[in-house]
Amino acid sequence: MDQLLTHACPTDRWRPARTPRRVPLPLLAGKVAAGFPSPADDYIEKTLDLNELLIKKPAATFFVRAEGESMLGAGIHPNDILIVDRSLEPADGKVVICALNGALTVKRLQRRARQWVLAAENPLYADIALNEGLELVIWGVVTNVIHPL
Amino acid sequence: MAPLIALVDCNNFYVSCERLFRPDLIGKPVVVLSNGDGCIVSRSQEVKDLGIKMGVPVYQVRHLIKQHHIQLFSSHYSLYGDLSARVMSVLEEFAPSLEVYSIDEAFLDLTGVCLKDPMAYGQEIRSIVRRNTGIPVCVGMGPTKTLAKLANFAAKRWPRTGGVLDLSDLVRREKLMRIVPVSEVWGIGSRIAARLSQLGIHTVWDLARQPAERMQEQFSITVARTVLELNGIPCLELEAIAPDKQQIVCSRSFSRRLTEYRELSEALAEFASRAAEKLRSQQSVAGHLSVFIRTNPFNPQEPQYQRSAGVRLNSATQDTRMIVSEAHRLLKALFRAGYRYQKCGVQLSHIQPATTPGQLDLFAMTAPGWQTDSPALMQAMDRINRRFPRGIAVAAVGFDKAWQSKVERLSQRYTTDWRELLRVRCG
Repeated sequence: MDQLLTHACPTDRWRPARTPRRVPLPLLAGKVAAGFPSPADDYIEKTLDLNELLIKKPAATFFVRAEGESMLGAGIHPNDILIVDRSLEPADGKVVICALNGALTVKRLQRRARQWVLAAENPLYADIALNEGLELVIWGVVTNVIHPL
Repeated sequence: MAPLIALVDCNNFYVSCERLFRPDLIGKPVVVLSNGDGCIVSRSQEVKDLGIKMGVPVYQVRHLIKQHHIQLFSSHYSLYGDLSARVMSVLEEFAPSLEVYSIDEAFLDLTGVCLKDPMAYGQEIRSIVRRNTGIPVCVGMGPTKTLAKLANFAAKRWPRTGGVLDLSDLVRREKLMRIVPVSEVWGIGSRIAARLSQLGIHTVWDLARQPAERMQEQFSITVARTVLELNGIPCLELEAIAPDKQQIVCSRSFSRRLTEYRELSEALAEFASRAAEKLRSQQSVAGHLSVFIRTNPFNPQEPQYQRSAGVRLNSATQDTRMIVSEAHRLLKALFRAGYRYQKCGVQLSHIQPATTPGQLDLFAMTAPGWQTDSPALMQAMDRINRRFPRGIAVAAVGFDKAWQSKVERLSQRYTTDWRELLRVRCG
C-alpha cells in the first residue's frame, strides 16, 4: 500500500505515520473492571518523566551531538547526544562546551595550581592551559550524556 | 508607587540566532535574508558599519557582499521562533506581567519589583538572558511604554549606556529628548514627523512640550496619547493577550515569475488555506474576502498589471473550501494572460467571533452532499496539520508548487530536528 501511495504522489506530501509522542498517563487499575474500588486508587502517583529528570531549565537547555574521542574517559562517545544547560555556572570539574578559536569543543574545566585548564579525558589528547592572552567563552555546561548501547 | 515599564529587545535578532550556533561568525559581517532570499532583513553591527541599510535588495549590494565576505543566511523561522520562546520564557521570571510585542521584543511591568535599583535589575535581565539563551538584548525603562521604547532606542544606539537606560529621572529624560529626532518616537512615522517639522517640532523634547489637546486637534488622538506618555502619563496598558486580528492577510512574492492561470490558482489556494487556518485558530469567521495579483512594479521594462477584487461572503465562514472557492472565482475575474506575475495574496476581513449568529443564506446549499459549512471537517484538518505539519490540504493547492520561494542558505535545524543538532568536537 505504501508503494502505491509513493508512486501516485511523487512528493513528500504522503508520509508514513510517525510514532506519536507517548504521554505517560497514570494507570488507573480498578476503575474499569469490577465496579468496586481498587486498594491502589489512593496511591496513584504521577509516572516517571525523563524531561523532568534531565531538563531543569528548558529555556536554557540545548542538545548537541559529540564528535571525536577526546572525552571517552568522561563517558562521552562519538555520536552521543549531550544535554547542555547554559544557565549553570562553569566550575572546577564540570564538563563544558567552549568556543576555542571559534570552534565549539567539549572539555573538562579544571583548576590546577591556581590556573584554569581545559582538560581532555583521553591520554592521547593534550590539555590546554588558559593564559591571560587566550580568550575563552563557555557555551554551556554538559549535564548528561545520552549513549545508546 | 511610580509605574515602571521595561521594553526588552534583542539585538539584531535573526543574526544573533544564527551566531549562537556559529561562534566563528562573531565579529564578522553577517546578514539574514527575507523570504525568497531577496532582501536583507537583519544585519550584524559590522554590516551596519558598512552603510548597508535595512531592507536593501541583495543584488544592489552584491559587490559589498563579495568584497567584505559577508555571510548570508536564509530566514530560518522555526529556529527564530524557538529562540524567541526561550527569551520570553526567561523574561517571564523577571516580572509579574509580560506582553510579547513581537518576535524579539517584550514589555515587562516592573512596577514595585526593583524599587532599590532599577538599572541593576535591568543589567541582571541582560546578563541572564544572554547567559541562558545566548541572545544579547537591551533594556529600556520608564513610567510609560512610549518612554520605555525611547529608552531602549537610546540604550541600543549608545553603547556607553551599557545596554540599559532608565528614563524615570526627569533631568536625564529631558537631556535625551533634546538630542533625539521626533521620528524615533514610537508611533510617529515619517509622514507625521514631516508635518511636525513644519510646525517647528523637530526633537522629542519639542513634541513632549506640546499641549496634548492641540496635538489631538491637529493630528489624532494617538499623537495626543503619545505626548502624554512622553510626559510620564501612562495611556497604554500592557496587553497580556494579543487582540484578535481584524484583518488576516496571506501573500508571498514568487521565486520566479508565473504566467499560467493554473500556477497562480495553486498559489492562491495555499494562501487562502493558510489565512483560513489563522482565522480558525482565533475562533473567528470572516465576512469579506479580497484577492490581489500583480506583476513586478520595479521592472519598468515589463508590461504592468495590478488588480484586486473583493467580495462579501454570503455567510461569514472559516471553512477553507468556501474561502478557496471564492478566491478562485475572484482570480478568474482578475487574471489576464500575457503578464508575468510576481505576487498574489488573499485578505480576510469583517472578522467576528464564530459564535455570533450571522445572516443566513437561503442559497447556501450547493452540490448535494457538500455542506456549506462543516466545522468538524475543518477541526479534523487542523488537528492533522498540527501533528504532521503541512500534512493535508485541499487539492486545489497542487503538488509541485512552482511558485514557492527559494531558500538556499538555511542553517541547520539545531533546535527542532534530532538529525541536525549542533556538532561539537571532542578533540
